[in-house]
Amino acid sequence: MTAAAAIAAWVGGSLILLSDGRRGLALGLAVLGGGLAGLALDAGHAFAAVALAAGGAGAGALRLREGADGWGIMPPGSTPRLILATVSALIALYLAAVITEGPGAGFRFAVPAVIAVLALRLLLGADRAAAGAAASGIALALGVGSLLSTGGAPEATCIAAAVVAAGLQAITHAEPDGA
Amino acid sequence: MEPELAVALPAAGWACTAALRPRPRMALAAGAVFGAGGVAAILFSAPGSASTDLGVSLTITAAARAMLVVAAVALAFVVILAPARAERSTMLRWGLAGLAGMAAIAVAPSLDVALIVLLALFVLQAAALGRRPYLSRLRGPLLAVALIGLGLVFARMGGPPALQRIAAVGLVTGLVAAIGAVPFVQEFDAEEMTATSPMPWLTFVGPLLAVVVVARGRELIPGQVDVLGALLIALGLVNVAYGSIAAWRVDSAAAAWRYLFMADWGLVMCGLGLGVADGLRAALLILFGLLLVRLPLYLWSRQALRDNVQNDRPVNLLVAAALAGSAPFAGFPARVLLLKGATAMYWPLALVLAPLLLLWIPAGLRLGRTLGAPTGRQLFGVAIALAVSVVLGAYPQPLLSLAGL
Repeated sequence: MTAAAAIAAWVGGSLILLSDGRRGLALGLAVLGGGLAGLALDAGHAFAAVALAAGGAGAGALRLREGADGWGIMPPGSTPRLILATVSALIALYLAAVITEGPGAGFRFAVPAVIAVLALRLLLGADRAAAGAAASGIALALGVGSLLSTGGAPEATCIAAAVVAAGLQAITHAEPDGA
Repeated sequence: MEPELAVALPAAGWACTAALRPRPRMALAAGAVFGAGGVAAILFSAPGSASTDLGVSLTITAAARAMLVVAAVALAFVVILAPARAERSTMLRWGLAGLAGMAAIAVAPSLDVALIVLLALFVLQAAALGRRPYLSRLRGPLLAVALIGLGLVFARMGGPPALQRIAAVGLVTGLVAAIGAVPFVQEFDAEEMTATSPMPWLTFVGPLLAVVVVARGRELIPGQVDVLGALLIALGLVNVAYGSIAAWRVDSAAAAWRYLFMADWGLVMCGLGLGVADGLRAALLILFGLLLVRLPLYLWSRQALRDNVQNDRPVNLLVAAALAGSAPFAGFPARVLLLKGATAMYWPLALVLAPLLLLWIPAGLRLGRTLGAPTGRQLFGVAIALAVSVVLGAYPQPLLSLAGL
């Protein structure tokens, strides 16, 4: 369960990195939310899991309103992004399995991997829709990252993350693209 | 209930000013009432005592409370004495949005929540009408959130001490990226409205964010506080040198203002990194001066910058002295405290810092002239800003006491 959820979260983040179409980005957000929810559920945080799944699904649904048509998954020229997504996963796996210790290996793999691929999405160039999806994904990853801590109201953090993730997709922009 | 109200009232004020945009006077009145209520709630919040009315524990530190109060006073100051062509209700709307976000960051139960609030603020600002492309407005800020987020995750992982050091790198570089200082300088357009430009992160939201991130960072990685401090000092020195030289040599006067803010941030980072009381006092004094003196002066210089008017009247020289950090203005005791703290911590650092402080003189002289020839309300505002700077310079203890120092 933990491994499947962590891999699903990475796949969701990678879909956001590899997609240019609105459907691909929406699917990425939904899969990311589902994967992170699975991790939260596995760690015994049911409320957080529901919030994260709802946040991912809501953000994905709202993402469908804006962006390039179609799926746009792995368009021509996306090979460097694919390589970086794979390398991020391998580094995160090494970190979670070899360098770090203790419970929560799924969190230790998924959270750095997801944050890394979403940051790469911004650094490698993104349109408005992709940047918005990356922002929502980072919010969800921050939420689930709080479950690694012992204090600081982690469930409330997950709920706040889910609300912000969905809310960011609901924002309408003042101008079409820059000026 | 005060921490909740400190967030809710400015947010309600922002919503009212946004809803009443077609009626600027009503928007201004509504925003002022809610904003004043928010300030009262901040003032009545007892530092350290938790409020659990929303089911989560919300607390505020004395330093964060002082920074919020000073930011609110600075906002009132620039709205009341707004630059000639600026729309007051628009300034208040943006300011209240920032203030609500800052209050939420200050009272957040964890750094994770503060980071999520910061992310929302970044995206909201980027969504507004601006001159720079959307991605260029969002790239640096989101990278900042990602870096701090990675820092948080590394801080919580069990393993070798190197993980905590990586966490310190994430926290410090993320903070620097959030404020847009070197090496994460954001694209800058001199013609862009201040609220949608990178300036609010350097001058308005940044001070509180720095106080919160550094304080929480020290709690998260207690074993690597020295690494956190060393990184802050290193990046601080880079910003001091780069910012003060660029403020002196860069062609655009508007860009020169921004570089001087970065140089000031360099001093703040050094002060926060020292980890001694004098360093913290120096950092907070510089941040108070940034909010109460430099931000208003920058806003009032905008029109003269657009008109390319420069002047050498006595008021310009006084402003130059204030910007250069000379006595009796606020920058002077801050610099003395910083040197004192550096000497106590590691005296060669003071040897490096002392000559770098001289670089503020040419930059200050240059930027003092860019204020043009202020008249009327603007001249009154400049006089008040200088008076505040003198009071802060001569007797900073009341504000430092508010910050618990």
